[in-house]
Amino acid sequence: MRVILESKVRKKPSLPIEAEAIIPRNFLKGTDLVVFEGNKERTLSELFWIFVEGTAVSPENIEVVLKGDTSRIKRVGEYMDTGTILIEGDIGMHCGNFMSGGTIEIRGSADAWLGREMRGGTIVCRGNAGHYCATGYRGEKKGMQGGTVEVFGNAGDFCAEYLAGGTVHIHGHTGDFPGVEMRGGELLIEGDATRPCGNMKNGSCVILGTVHDLLPTFEKSGTHLLPERNLEMDVYTGDVANRGKGTMMVASRALRR
Amino acid sequence: MIEQDVVCPFCGCLCDDLEIETDGARIVRVKNGCSLAEATFMNDTRLPAPIRRTEAGWEEISYDEAISETAEILREADRPLLYGWSSTHGETQSIGVHIAELIGAVIDNTSTVCHGPSILAIQEVGHPGCTLGQVKNRADVIIYWGCNPVEAHPRHMSRYTTFATGFFVPEAQRERTVIVVDTRRTDTTNIADEFVQIEHGGDYAVLSALRAIVRGKAHVIPASVAGVAKEQLVRIAEICKNAKFGAIFFGLGLTMSRGKYKNVRNAIELTDELSRHTKFVISPLRGHGNVYGSNEVFTWMTGYPFAVDFARGIAFYNPGETTAVDILRRGECDAALIVASDPGANFPRAAAAHLAKIPTVVIDPHVNATTALSRIHIPCTAAGIDAAGTAYRMDGIPIRLKKVIDRGYPDDAEILRKIYDRLDGGMGP
Amino acid sequence: MTELWVKNACVIDPIRGINGEIMDIAIRDGRIVESVSDRADVIDAHRCLTLPGGIDSHTHVSGTKVNFGRYMSPEDMRAGRTKRRGKMHVTSGYYVPTTFGNSYRYSAMGYTTLLEGAMAPLEARHTHEEFTATPHQDMLANTLFDGNWAVMDAVREHDVRKAAAVVAWTLNAARGYAIKLTNPGGTEAWGWGDDLTSIHEQVPHFAVTPAEIITTLIQANELLRLPHSVHLHCNNLGKPGNYQTTLDTFELVPDLNPARQSLYATHVQFHAYGGGTWRNICSKAEEITRSINSKPQIVMDMGQIMFCRTMTMTADGPMEFNLHCLHHNKWSNHDVELETGSGIIPVTYSKKSAVNCIMWAIGLELALLTKSPWQCLLETDNPNGAPFVKYPEIIGLLMSKRYRDEECATLHAETEKRTSLWALERELDWHEIAVMTRAGQAKALGIASQGKGHLGIGAEADIAIYPIRTDMVDPAREYRKVVEGFQKTRYTIKRGRVVSRDGEIIVDGANATFWVNAKVPEDIRMENDKEFIRRFEQFYTVRMSNYPVQDLYLPRGRCIETEAML
Repeated sequence: MRVILESKVRKKPSLPIEAEAIIPRNFLKGTDLVVFEGNKERTLSELFWIFVEGTAVSPENIEVVLKGDTSRIKRVGEYMDTGTILIEGDIGMHCGNFMSGGTIEIRGSADAWLGREMRGGTIVCRGNAGHYCATGYRGEKKGMQGGTVEVFGNAGDFCAEYLAGGTVHIHGHTGDFPGVEMRGGELLIEGDATRPCGNMKNGSCVILGTVHDLLPTFEKSGTHLLPERNLEMDVYTGDVANRGKGTMMVASRALRR
Repeated sequence: MIEQDVVCPFCGCLCDDLEIETDGARIVRVKNGCSLAEATFMNDTRLPAPIRRTEAGWEEISYDEAISETAEILREADRPLLYGWSSTHGETQSIGVHIAELIGAVIDNTSTVCHGPSILAIQEVGHPGCTLGQVKNRADVIIYWGCNPVEAHPRHMSRYTTFATGFFVPEAQRERTVIVVDTRRTDTTNIADEFVQIEHGGDYAVLSALRAIVRGKAHVIPASVAGVAKEQLVRIAEICKNAKFGAIFFGLGLTMSRGKYKNVRNAIELTDELSRHTKFVISPLRGHGNVYGSNEVFTWMTGYPFAVDFARGIAFYNPGETTAVDILRRGECDAALIVASDPGANFPRAAAAHLAKIPTVVIDPHVNATTALSRIHIPCTAAGIDAAGTAYRMDGIPIRLKKVIDRGYPDDAEILRKIYDRLDGGMGP
Repeated sequence: MTELWVKNACVIDPIRGINGEIMDIAIRDGRIVESVSDRADVIDAHRCLTLPGGIDSHTHVSGTKVNFGRYMSPEDMRAGRTKRRGKMHVTSGYYVPTTFGNSYRYSAMGYTTLLEGAMAPLEARHTHEEFTATPHQDMLANTLFDGNWAVMDAVREHDVRKAAAVVAWTLNAARGYAIKLTNPGGTEAWGWGDDLTSIHEQVPHFAVTPAEIITTLIQANELLRLPHSVHLHCNNLGKPGNYQTTLDTFELVPDLNPARQSLYATHVQFHAYGGGTWRNICSKAEEITRSINSKPQIVMDMGQIMFCRTMTMTADGPMEFNLHCLHHNKWSNHDVELETGSGIIPVTYSKKSAVNCIMWAIGLELALLTKSPWQCLLETDNPNGAPFVKYPEIIGLLMSKRYRDEECATLHAETEKRTSLWALERELDWHEIAVMTRAGQAKALGIASQGKGHLGIGAEADIAIYPIRTDMVDPAREYRKVVEGFQKTRYTIKRGRVVSRDGEIIVDGANATFWVNAKVPEDIRMENDKEFIRRFEQFYTVRMSNYPVQDLYLPRGRCIETEAML
């Protein structure tokens, strides 16, 4: 079954919409869902043209497609556990919060907190991701704990903050402090990174591009050859500002202090 | 008439030993205060009545009219923003929160543009601190990091730290070591026994290095970190470890430079590390007189110190998303009520500009840069001058602001209560 | 005039010796009376369990430290969020809820009076502001004296009268209710990053010991004729082997007051550990209760822990730092000049941890081994051992051996070896639970005479009606019904008004704050003591004139006046 949601033109297009109801499972029982625009409750049909193609008996066979201007829609795919969401354009904040299964594909860019506190499933973002991609919530000790986030463009600051499990793969560059407070999981950055892995406790981070402002508290422990890319990597342990036992690998040719 | 032990409401020091002389209607003399206090009490010019913007310019309107129209603006809004709160007393702040929960607004205070990052850091690692008297009576090592109290908190050093006579530190100036960390020389660095000059944006790296040195990992640290020689870092780590009582104070140089809350977090974790060797505490130098009070009131009422979004009925908090600057910059809100602050002067241009595009109401004793962006300005009392109420000092001590004169203005709490009543049609919060 | 008539109530009122009688209760203008007119509103209790309103004699719900617990915990605020609804404000939080969250949840459980466990006098205004925003319970504040410089000076000079005068002045200034000592002397040592390890070790620079502080203030307390006794959080909290300190402390306590205890020892579970390290920690509940059972002059409360995530917060700064070094989670500390300290860290009590399981068992052992329920009151040191919403489960555990056995079967294997809980057959009855949750508190706090904790004529009409038929429920077997029944009253009546019905708050609250004004002779009043004033102005960072809490912070203040015997 495919559910196509095409956003309607709104009088105040800058108002944020909160739409945690948009997960495949909820469409098993129809499209009579509630979303919020600013402080007002709306039905899904007030904000979207809704088209349903085919039927489904289980949620894993449901694909939800979002079209039109969806850049202000927050919390799409929150607590999603199965099925597919395809977003043709950009998506607002908190896409895939607490997601535990299924797949979200974003053809455009994602706003901040993409895949926040994710536990499983897959998020693929073809464009850029905002700040706090694949992270946690304020005050919480663990960020993303499982699943995969792949971003083909760049990611903003604090990417994979408090990463505790799962895989984060950024094809482009990251901003300031990727992998900060990391305590598990794997972070792969193909592009450049600034001050990676500050205060990391555990987990591993691989950076293929240039590292800016490498922190002084990482202890070089050797080199390692990445066979699939034929790249020699400098291996660091840290962050020794704490009891950190994390591993950070930086392409040897690319270090900038 | 002379009133003793008056509290200055201007900055987070809330010095409570001022002597104010009045001639009934006016303040004629301020004793004991710093120059900022003097200006606060003496240069207090206000609008005579509420004003409303028209095609032809400003017109005076009655309080009733201003209050009705404000209530109407808020009632109509889909995403109202209630911002400010830091220069008024707790009762006003509390009614503000009640209005926000009633109408589904976002309510935020000036922490957003000052120590919001400190709060985020504290929410990650906590805050080993104390009241200022602990520092005054005990501290033999004092660190000022990214701040210039000589200018911004002129009596901080003489009342609470460096020059204050303490029980265990009877000869303050001789017995205390003062370390100042900054990117440039200031009046405060001139007082330092040890000045650490850091390259711009280098605070995080230097703090990490200090933590590592205190943990016995000096061998990892390179010869120079962000422009600071390793020898100096090692020396400072030793001074700190050998202190009987050390205190770090930090300001916007740490919270608002690159890395923001991670800088503060790192400073707190340094304090934590030093606590394993000796007594160490850390505290932010809070700016607005009662900004800490707005954090306290918001917290006990909503669970969060700032940036609280009631759009969904429940309280939601996520700085970066629910903070006033971000909501304005994204053009989200469609009405704003600004109380006891001046975002027109302090916010980034793009954020402030949005205030002019939407109906904005200002409730403030003074005409300020935000007035120029607003539709209505309602003048009121100034907490600590012609209104009494509670304020919280930067270290959490609650102090009662006094009313030293009566100028005939309504209290901002009273104005807000009336707005609440119009919105609720009821008995008030 | 408002009248209410509660009929068909199955009343347990231990202070008046009533145990399960079916009776009617007449209420006029907030107090219990002989009879009411036929115009009174009527509530039919349908023979359900009806008790005086619950009283928590040691909880942390208001003030600087509690609010800092909230401030640093946005992750907890995501739990327990409710919208504004009817008369109810928005609430947030599970283990450190907002003031309204605390008030509504306590009210739903039938609690109508709370004693805030720790208030620093310098920050008293803050506590009172939050009391006002905790509208459905009458509030009292324990006032901290553990590191009070003027008290320690008086103790060193062996001047009990002076110590009493300092207490009287401070209670008055802070609008406080009772003397609280938290790790006496230890919080001052913590001003230098140190702690005290024995009650006979001297406080640095002050040349006094915890034992001297405790004994002097017990005497001062009685000289001032304060309604409550000294309220003590013993030294060495949470350290393996600390039971000896606790026993030594108990040995110091004379029996000075026929109406109540002379010492209230709080959260004793945290002070009843044998062994010497976390590896060999074991229960010393038997030793502790043997002492309590022979000392009517001491009342304690449990300090029960329950398995959950929660927040520890106490004036005991050094203890919190030690705990932080074990947990590596966030840590806040806030020392208060010339008075006390405080610390906060989040913890998770887990059944996988042998230490946590032993702690859990010790709390229950204390309650089951103490012969008189009047001497062991039920609480968790909220939220330190667990948030107060766990009380119904604790009641269930105390009333049912079967429930305990089922829980014990899920614990770490070491627990059985290092505690005696498995062997305890005792199951408490409804009357004992009523004592441990209200009557005992009223007596211990000295507020029975204020009309609290009983339903006699003239008493304040604070009443909890639970959906429990004691004649139809066997708590030993049907403990789930007991737990559910105590979670939500059918009606909570506060000063004659129904404030909560089936867990829903239906009116705005109008609580009162009780405080004590102990009058001392003119010649020893601190406000006339030049040296006291000189030191105050020199070493505090607020002016003495700005220190006392103004009356307007207690919109419904209830002052209890005493004439000191000085």
